[in-house]
Amino acid sequence: MKGYLGKILKVDLTTKEIEEELIDDSVYESVLSGIGLGAYYLYNNIPANADPLGPDNILGFTSGLLVGSGTLVTGRWMAVCKSPLTGGWGDANCGGDFAPGIKACGYDAIFFKGISPEPVCLVVNENGAALEDASRLWGTDAIETEEILRKECRVKAIPKVVAIGPAGENKSLISGIVNDGGRIAARSGVGAVMGSKRLKAIVLAGNQRTKIADRNAMKAYSKEVGAKIKKAQLPGLLKGYVFPILGKLTTKAKSVSATDGMMSIMINKKYGTNAVNTMGIPNGDSPVRNWGGSVKDFRFNQYRKLNPDRILERKTKSYACYSCTIQCGATCDISDLGDGKVQHTHKPEYENCCALGTNLLINDLEEIFLMSETLNRAGMDSISAGSTMGYAFECFEKGIITAADTGGLELKWGDAKAASQLLDMMIKREGIGDLLADGVKVASERIGNNSDQYAVHCGGQEPGMHDPKLDPMLGVHYSADPTPGRHTIGGGQYYNMMALWQEVSWAPKVTKYAKSEEYIPSDDEALKSVALSCYKMLNDAAGGCFFALIAGLDHWNLFRMLNDTTGWELSADEYMAIGRRIQTLRQMFGIKHGVRPKDAIMTGRMMGEPPLKDGALKGITLPIEEMVALHWKHFGWNEQTGLPESAITQELEERALIH
Amino acid sequence: MRVKVHAAGYCSFEHIGDDGFMDLPEGATLNDVFAKLGIPRIIRRLPFAAVNYVQARPGTELADGDVVSLIGAVSGG
Repeated sequence: MKGYLGKILKVDLTTKEIEEELIDDSVYESVLSGIGLGAYYLYNNIPANADPLGPDNILGFTSGLLVGSGTLVTGRWMAVCKSPLTGGWGDANCGGDFAPGIKACGYDAIFFKGISPEPVCLVVNENGAALEDASRLWGTDAIETEEILRKECRVKAIPKVVAIGPAGENKSLISGIVNDGGRIAARSGVGAVMGSKRLKAIVLAGNQRTKIADRNAMKAYSKEVGAKIKKAQLPGLLKGYVFPILGKLTTKAKSVSATDGMMSIMINKKYGTNAVNTMGIPNGDSPVRNWGGSVKDFRFNQYRKLNPDRILERKTKSYACYSCTIQCGATCDISDLGDGKVQHTHKPEYENCCALGTNLLINDLEEIFLMSETLNRAGMDSISAGSTMGYAFECFEKGIITAADTGGLELKWGDAKAASQLLDMMIKREGIGDLLADGVKVASERIGNNSDQYAVHCGGQEPGMHDPKLDPMLGVHYSADPTPGRHTIGGGQYYNMMALWQEVSWAPKVTKYAKSEEYIPSDDEALKSVALSCYKMLNDAAGGCFFALIAGLDHWNLFRMLNDTTGWELSADEYMAIGRRIQTLRQMFGIKHGVRPKDAIMTGRMMGEPPLKDGALKGITLPIEEMVALHWKHFGWNEQTGLPESAITQELEERALIH
Repeated sequence: MRVKVHAAGYCSFEHIGDDGFMDLPEGATLNDVFAKLGIPRIIRRLPFAAVNYVQARPGTELADGDVVSLIGAVSGG
């Protein structure tokens, strides 16, 4: 066993039983660890009719196979469960410092079932694993909970902690799980599942090391990767003013080519994802006004206040997740904001700046900082929260909800204070906040009155802040992935950076092509989107970060790192087969639990129905159903239904992955 | 000499081969690459290009096998 530990921890919160289970090598050889191990365990252990907020749902915390191996940018962990938001497969990916903590305790994953009668936290250290009463912490925000437990449970090294905040305790279906002062596993409603189990936190204080196959090769490659990342510096003269220009220039682009992903690392090192704050509005990437507007509704003299340089002005130091040298994160000084009680916050990334900003026509950066910190402490998904507020703002504009419904709060586009107050109501489930606390789909069902036309989601999940009409392959992943609405599975832009064709025999090669080809359903485009899905699953099974993935094989080679760590000497094609297997398991999970994949295909504004009247993406409607059909076909799934065909499922049975 | 060019969407691809390389005379500079990519002179001073992943000015002389990368619009976050 190299790279993985062959063991999981199982906790029954109802009976308080805690036991270890050995996992056979064949499972890791078939689906690696991380999300793969999670998909294998959950598929076989959650009954089909399980209530996502009931005792039969299982909440898992998995660490990737490469975590703790000495490779770089491999520090991600995942929360996995049956999603209360979509009813199907649920997962959320997070950086921070929790991933190595799981393996340091001697496990590849920890799984929880049942419901505790009182709030508890799991503590794992050199004495073993135990559930401790956490009633005193119930009601405390996630960041404060982590601070308390780190102090109380510290013996030698600082323990690693994940916790839920009030949003998870209130079982908001858009709540997440927080780690390391504000990193959050946000999507799929994983926080609600943790809250439903009355599991307040997990504290890990182990110190075991993971064995790997070829430590010399790993060290040499890590040195090579580290040197490249260190050398890659954005020119000092390149400031935030350039990004709207770049965004505007790309609206005229008629051709696309393979791109050097190292450029994205250079940008991430300095700005994180905030470069997109002002780049995404002129080129249409950023949704505006609840996906119904464009740059005409949020012009340069408004959006320039979201200039990423203004965010850097508050930066006090860089922040990196475990094993990462890109350091896309930062802590920022907010001691002069609000009531001044909170000194620092994690830098709000692009998704926050758009969901709480552009999509609501808000350019008050100070209020965005405060709302971000509020969301981190509450443990709520910023994309979903902002999207739901966008829905509410539009309903208010259209008279579907009124000041009588909002307790007098006027929800006007651009009003940051109103947004902030509404957010508080959602976290506390007060007044109309209770209707909105579970995301747009549930809100529109509750509010009715034809308001579903303003609820932007895929299968219940609010999408990332990237318009697929700019990158149609993004729309395929929004629609076709077992976790719909995800912007971090793939897109045409990402494929062009990853250079998979250099090693994967069936991945279409990209040189240069007309941008218009991305809008036409084709087998080539479908093979690309399938390749991205498989590669992303491999990455999530390994514990790698998406930002390293898009750097491209020339700069960060996942296949090589997996071979150095495991000693398996598999080809890229064989590793991609592992990714395909994991994706199929995730899809089968949803189908087992009654999800119809076709129901998640995006509709309405996301696909351009009706098309936008202004902006870079005006007039575009995507043939998304045809694109998704081809994507499923090339996965070996039924084109119409998304059900994996028998040849595919048979392989899973032969490998004893499904019982 | 041949230089690998990672262009951005706003560039002309006329002078980039299918293998991603551009043919240039000996002594060519980054400015010559800009010219072949159709980048207007007025914006060539903007700092959006790197040679071998290090910031480079338009007058930077290139060598055979160099990698020229231009920053384009990125998405994600």
